[in-house]
Amino acid sequence: MDNLELLSEYTLFLKEEKQKGKKVVAFISHDNIPEELLDAAGFIPLRLMFAGNDELMDASHDYLSPSTCAFAQSCIGLFSTKPNHFRFLDLVDYFIVSNHCVSDICASEIISKYFNIPRLNFYLSYTKNENSLKYFKFELLDFKDQLEKIIGIEIKNEALMDSIKKYNNFKKKLLEFNNLNIRGSEKLRILQKAILYGPIFLPELESYTLKFSENQIQNSKDLKDVIITGCSVFLNDYLIELIEEAGGNVISFDTWIGNNYYYQIFEETVINLTKNPFDLLVRRFENNLYGDHSVPNFLENKVSQIEKICQNYLEKTGKKLRIINHIIKFCDHISLMSAYLKEQLQEKGFPVLNLERDYSRANRGQLSTRIEAFLEMV
Amino acid sequence: MSLMADEIVRFSSLLRIAFNLLTGRDYLKRKKFREKKKLISVALPFSDIVYGFPDLVPVFPIRTHVFKMHKYLQYLGSGANIFGWKNVSNFLGFLKNLGIGDINKIIDEIIDNVIDAVNEKYNEMYDIGIENGIPSDFCYGIKSLYGMHVSKGKNYDAILNYTIRCSAWNKYHESLKTINNTSKQIWIDIPPRNVGDALELLVNNLYDGISELEKISGNTYDSNILRNHFKVANEIRRSYKSILYEISTSDFYPCNPATFSEILVILNNSFQDYNSNAIRYRDNMTALVHEIKERIRNKIGMDVSNMPRILITPMFGGWEPKTHEIIYELGGRALYADWDVLLLLEDIPIEKISDPVEAYAHYLMNATTNGIGCDNNTLTDSYFRIAEKLNVDGLIFIQLFGCHSVSNCYPMLKEKIRRELEIPSMALTFNKIGENVEQVKTRLGAFMEMFR
Repeated sequence: MDNLELLSEYTLFLKEEKQKGKKVVAFISHDNIPEELLDAAGFIPLRLMFAGNDELMDASHDYLSPSTCAFAQSCIGLFSTKPNHFRFLDLVDYFIVSNHCVSDICASEIISKYFNIPRLNFYLSYTKNENSLKYFKFELLDFKDQLEKIIGIEIKNEALMDSIKKYNNFKKKLLEFNNLNIRGSEKLRILQKAILYGPIFLPELESYTLKFSENQIQNSKDLKDVIITGCSVFLNDYLIELIEEAGGNVISFDTWIGNNYYYQIFEETVINLTKNPFDLLVRRFENNLYGDHSVPNFLENKVSQIEKICQNYLEKTGKKLRIINHIIKFCDHISLMSAYLKEQLQEKGFPVLNLERDYSRANRGQLSTRIEAFLEMV
Repeated sequence: MSLMADEIVRFSSLLRIAFNLLTGRDYLKRKKFREKKKLISVALPFSDIVYGFPDLVPVFPIRTHVFKMHKYLQYLGSGANIFGWKNVSNFLGFLKNLGIGDINKIIDEIIDNVIDAVNEKYNEMYDIGIENGIPSDFCYGIKSLYGMHVSKGKNYDAILNYTIRCSAWNKYHESLKTINNTSKQIWIDIPPRNVGDALELLVNNLYDGISELEKISGNTYDSNILRNHFKVANEIRRSYKSILYEISTSDFYPCNPATFSEILVILNNSFQDYNSNAIRYRDNMTALVHEIKERIRNKIGMDVSNMPRILITPMFGGWEPKTHEIIYELGGRALYADWDVLLLLEDIPIEKISDPVEAYAHYLMNATTNGIGCDNNTLTDSYFRIAEKLNVDGLIFIQLFGCHSVSNCYPMLKEKIRRELEIPSMALTFNKIGENVEQVKTRLGAFMEMFR
């Protein structure tokens, strides 16, 4: 599933934006980056949300050890080899070094250092309590300072509030789209495109929502419904194809490119009652209970969230959801907890497949067999 | 190994440190059951605030295990209780010189125990870690530590967790909650960067941690106790640095260089919890420095001026313990200085800052910002700083399988070292103790050729 058309469209889009004088800030796509601040400062946020392959992973080995997260390796590989349809990476003006995980730090730092892209810093605490929320605010203010130094003017609270509202509305529409009963591959294709472009994609998203709401799956009893949790399924990944070839249909993406993104929304009243936009961003970080960054309650939050999703789905459709825990090899967060997540969910009667893989082509057959066996067995 | 045994028995202070390291289980049992003290699990050198409570005992979890050869060590300990450590040490040295076969064998076994038992136990814990759900693609240290908690976790009244830049480390701590009947967890968040009032937040986080420790202890926190402990902790650090910088950089060693490396390994292990008794550890460290200097003054030891100094780092997450012995056989001397790379051997600034918690926050923030670093650029500078300070001739970087944090700074470090220090370096991969000794020998052989 090569999204060549999308990538070339996106290249054109970025070129046009650059011609308008906008600058591009890239980052490894995690769920706590305040893209609204980038937007308010007039930057184009570029999420690195592209799956890898053998060449990209190999290309990273000059910079870090092969026992590093395959996604982080591939991000470096993209900058190192610059495949034709990723030429838009030449347009990146700044790169955010952040600490979603240590591979995020390493890969971002390497991209910034070795590919001469000026660096911005945005770090998070690992725990979540009153003090880490205060720390998050310090980082936001520091990040604002870094951006203001580049643009040479102050980022007004009003502009930030407008961006927050814009993204909030966009995420609500994504959630609406996500709730449609359509094929998982179709859904993912639109979600990926929408998240890559951001709120500018809103009109197109609305028209997709309208179009697909009239063409929803009517009889899905032969489909084996699946929820994907763990690591994201990024652009150009074949995983969703394998699931569908095995008779599965992904109805929920419980990942960065999925729930973690568009579930982070505010009620209108909250926005209207909050005067300081930074407090809203802090609040969102506080409410991001299901992201994998924070400790020490990630596992129990995740188990209860998946349990709730599965139970709701059972009540609504009478069908049982199969859970695929997608583990990109050497992912600190998802991999370390995978055995315990599986154990705890299976104890509650939910079938789980821990699907660990990197981006090598040779894995495809093995992954396919494992997915088929899992869906068949359940 | 007998070569090292021969040397180590002459240092009674080192023997005491090693004995306390290996016989921790009995000591801790006594503390817990007879004296009703509470055990707090700590890892990496983050035990200091636990010493603010006299009824809490910090323990690096490997020390709650039973080690092989424990019986001999018990005899040795009993002998030391009656005759004193120095006499036992002299006696062992005397017997060794006589060349009495059986007794020699026992001495060798004791020292082998000191040197090998911890590592053997690490491997055992590594296997337990994997059997209990830690994926094999995580580092040796995490797998072993998880295994230690599966195996003996019920003995701890709490686990003290500091968040650091390594996400696997932080997640590993969370994963300890999956162990049945696991202990209470106390979290102290170290902010990743010193932005805004981050230092103040760290002070608050430390106070929150202290109030959790108060609940375990039942006693109220007393700043004087913690301040006094920090004085002791600083003395330990100074002795440690004296061994690192005065002795290891000199041309005359008080023992053969492989033994000297062993001393550094034992210090690296025991520094994490000061063998659960900081004052005793301080006294042993002071005595060790004294003994070393005495030997040098009396010209007992070895001229090492023609042996290249090789810094081996990082080894705290796991490394092949035969490395220094091989380097010695190849004509070099291996140095270990991990804790100073990470700036954890810096003084806790109680002379300048009256509130000990605030002083400790400064110490931790300095280590985080300038030592461990929030990125690999800072960490690379830290390795570089120590290589320069120790005036080493070469550097061996341990690339720990499954380490996604520290190991990834090697490409940057290699470039910087070659460019600015103009010394050779080499990465040595490591997965499990004893797994690749022959390969290590071959690679070290090629590396050491460069110095001939």
